[in-house]
Amino acid sequence: MSRASTIVLTILIACIVAAAPAMALAPLVNATLEPRQISMGESAQLTITGTGSEMDALTLPVVAGLDFRVIGQSRRLEIINGATLSSTSVILRVTPQTAGIFTIPGITPKSQPLVLRVNPDNGSGSASQSNNPYSASPPGALSGSSTGNSSAGGIRLTANGAAFIRMNLPKRDVYVGESIPVDIEVGLRSGFVTSLNGLPTLTGTDFTLNNLSHKPERVEKLIDGQPFTVLTWHSVLAPVKPGTFNLSVESPLTIRVRTRPARDSMIDDLLGDPFMQNFFGATVPKDITVASPPAELKVVALPTEGRPADFSGAVGTFKIASDVSAPTAAVGDPLTLRLHVTGSGNFDRVDTPMLEHVDHWKTYPPKSSFTQGDTVGYKGEKTFEQPVIASQPGTQTLPALTFSYFDPTTQRYETARSTPPAVTIAPALADSAPPVPATTTATANANGPGVSPAPPPSGLRPDHAITSDGTPSWLPQSLVFWAPHSLIPLYLRSPFLIVQSLLAVAFAGGWFGLRRRAFAAATPGMPLKRPSKASAKLLQQLHAAARASDSTAFFTVARDALRQSLAARWGIAAETLAPEEWSARLQGHDDGDELRELFTLADEATYAGHGMTSTDFDRWTQVVRRQLLGDKA
Amino acid sequence: MNISRTLLATLLIALACMDIPSIASGDAQPESGAHPATTAPTTATSDPATTAPTTATSDPAATTNSASTYSADSLYNLGNAYARAGKPGLAVLNYERARLLTSYDPDIEANLRFVRDSAKVPTDPQSAFERTVRIASPTTLAWSGLTGLLLAGILWVAGGAATKHRGVRRGGIAIGIALMGLTVCNGMVLWPTLHAAVILTAATPARVSPAPMGDPVFTLPEAETVSMKAEHEGFVLVQTRTGKTGWVADANLAPVVPRY
Repeated sequence: MSRASTIVLTILIACIVAAAPAMALAPLVNATLEPRQISMGESAQLTITGTGSEMDALTLPVVAGLDFRVIGQSRRLEIINGATLSSTSVILRVTPQTAGIFTIPGITPKSQPLVLRVNPDNGSGSASQSNNPYSASPPGALSGSSTGNSSAGGIRLTANGAAFIRMNLPKRDVYVGESIPVDIEVGLRSGFVTSLNGLPTLTGTDFTLNNLSHKPERVEKLIDGQPFTVLTWHSVLAPVKPGTFNLSVESPLTIRVRTRPARDSMIDDLLGDPFMQNFFGATVPKDITVASPPAELKVVALPTEGRPADFSGAVGTFKIASDVSAPTAAVGDPLTLRLHVTGSGNFDRVDTPMLEHVDHWKTYPPKSSFTQGDTVGYKGEKTFEQPVIASQPGTQTLPALTFSYFDPTTQRYETARSTPPAVTIAPALADSAPPVPATTTATANANGPGVSPAPPPSGLRPDHAITSDGTPSWLPQSLVFWAPHSLIPLYLRSPFLIVQSLLAVAFAGGWFGLRRRAFAAATPGMPLKRPSKASAKLLQQLHAAARASDSTAFFTVARDALRQSLAARWGIAAETLAPEEWSARLQGHDDGDELRELFTLADEATYAGHGMTSTDFDRWTQVVRRQLLGDKA
Repeated sequence: MNISRTLLATLLIALACMDIPSIASGDAQPESGAHPATTAPTTATSDPATTAPTTATSDPAATTNSASTYSADSLYNLGNAYARAGKPGLAVLNYERARLLTSYDPDIEANLRFVRDSAKVPTDPQSAFERTVRIASPTTLAWSGLTGLLLAGILWVAGGAATKHRGVRRGGIAIGIALMGLTVCNGMVLWPTLHAAVILTAATPARVSPAPMGDPVFTLPEAETVSMKAEHEGFVLVQTRTGKTGWVADANLAPVVPRY
């Protein structure tokens, strides 16, 4: 490098060094406010930027109704065309205490004042109604400070500002049973929340959360400069009892929490991005439940005065219309009477019995179907379809349908009435007569019975001449008692089946009787009749006496048995007959001689005994058996 | 002889069980509750082609004529009248009813086939066996069957008591059994028709349940013949020839044999 060049460079450096203090002598201070319009419960961000390496001690502005808190500071150094420009920014959160228009005075005497417009909280808190509804985070919350939960309006951030849950209610005064559409928003700071572990739920049991959408709407938003994923569920809230309640929703999730002590929070603030914090091992996962600030809800019972008898519990705003499936029908044809209930409200309580008892109509219980007009079923159309069948022809008007509900807007019961539908009912198809061609009728009448009518159209064979009712002509009409009064064949009618069954049984019985008799004839000694229990017992006693060779007992039993049998056959009491009468009555009996001999032997055996052989016992046993059982063998 | 007396008494009791009392009092009536137009019982000497359609629109009570009876020819002519009027359902219904009262009639079969073909309803071809067992009317076959029972029974019983003319007896028994068999076969052939119904309206929905709000599972064309399986509160469970089942409102069909 030559000497001249060295001199020039030295001069330039000296100029730069000399100019630097001159540029720093007049620091500029600029202030920006974003957004300029917010709602109650929200916050705005005031950024004060000053040029220079150092900013003078900042005096926070004081505005009645506004709270200023420093939430961060940043420093920026730029080199432009060799000139070094440094700036320092201080970020303040501005939280309104009341609604109104606030003027924030200039930070320096020369700077312009800033105006902040704060709208009253309408409860909806939707993002569309404010530019930044989520800016209510406490100082350091989003940057990970551990100062605890913060609550403002509908937002409550978790301790480290990682998430929030919020429920938007359209109204705070409701009726029991009324359906209230609600939006539940869960904000998850990107990178801080690792998972959402369940659907939002209500904390109390005084309400039910119905039709919660399983797939929430997902929106990416910047809240206080931090990226948040906002999930929105739509649902319908239904209070179950009157009273004043604090309502809250909660949702389980897993977040990352810092492991540094609180005094090191500035380091985390400097790291800023959660990715950077994770990179340096500053966070660990933790399961928490995020809950929304409680919202007060006043539930009023439905009035009892003026309640219609057919009120089913429907609360909302409804309109009805009715129609019939067809304007014309025949007797017996089923028609469908429809009632359309449209509007918004608790459609699960929308019910009606439709028509119950209508003269000349047969009605059936209705069925209903619901078509949702939104994602949660708060709006839509419920259709009742009732099958009805006319039993009488003619033009008939069905009664008007009514539907009663409670309108929370007018705060009274309303009864909607439909236009009575008219239906033209024709005679039943089965009752309608076919239009017989006049020529056919005339010809037939002229020819009289027994003559074939006019020739049929092509394809059909001609009519039959009617000469009789189908019974054989050679039979006298007096004998034709089986003429077809029924279409059921004669052989399937009960009387005919009974006749055939009786005949079959009689034939079978006759055949069996003959076969048995023939078998008995071919087998001597074969009894034709099964002995009764008494006879069998007597025969057993006879056999026992015979085996014991006890003639006295044998004849005693035989005599008593025969006397009882003969007396029963004659229809008199055995005790009333004297011995002479027995002899007289046995005169005409086929076996009278044998019976008289048996009675004589019985008397002898009673007084003197009687010696008998086994052959004698068999003989007299057969005699007794023949008399008792009627054996002829 | 005891057996002879028993047989005679049985025969007398059997005759007493038949329609003699009702004939004597003259109160034989068609089935009540049936469609007056579809049953249309007519007097034996009237021409149904002219009288039945006109009486069909009259008071149902007036149509239950105490002296009226069914006639195959009357029902056949009534079927023709409905066919000419463009009502194939009612035409098929009356043809089917006529078939229950008469022997195999080519006219009835031809017109039944013609009407079904016109209504685009498939027709099952008649087998030779069916034509054979319908050689006579069911009434005639009923009496022939009873005659066969008497013949076979008497000869069978007599065979147990006598040994002469065994061949003649066996021949008589065979004839009696054949007559009874013919009657039984006729009943087997007609049995499905006795439990059948005819669809009277076009595109009749067959529903999954016996209720008007039941979902339709298929539709039935007019003049289709279906078999009835059950009834429940104004609906009939029907089965088509293809085996599909569904509930049909009884206003849309008419049973071949009117219900009591």
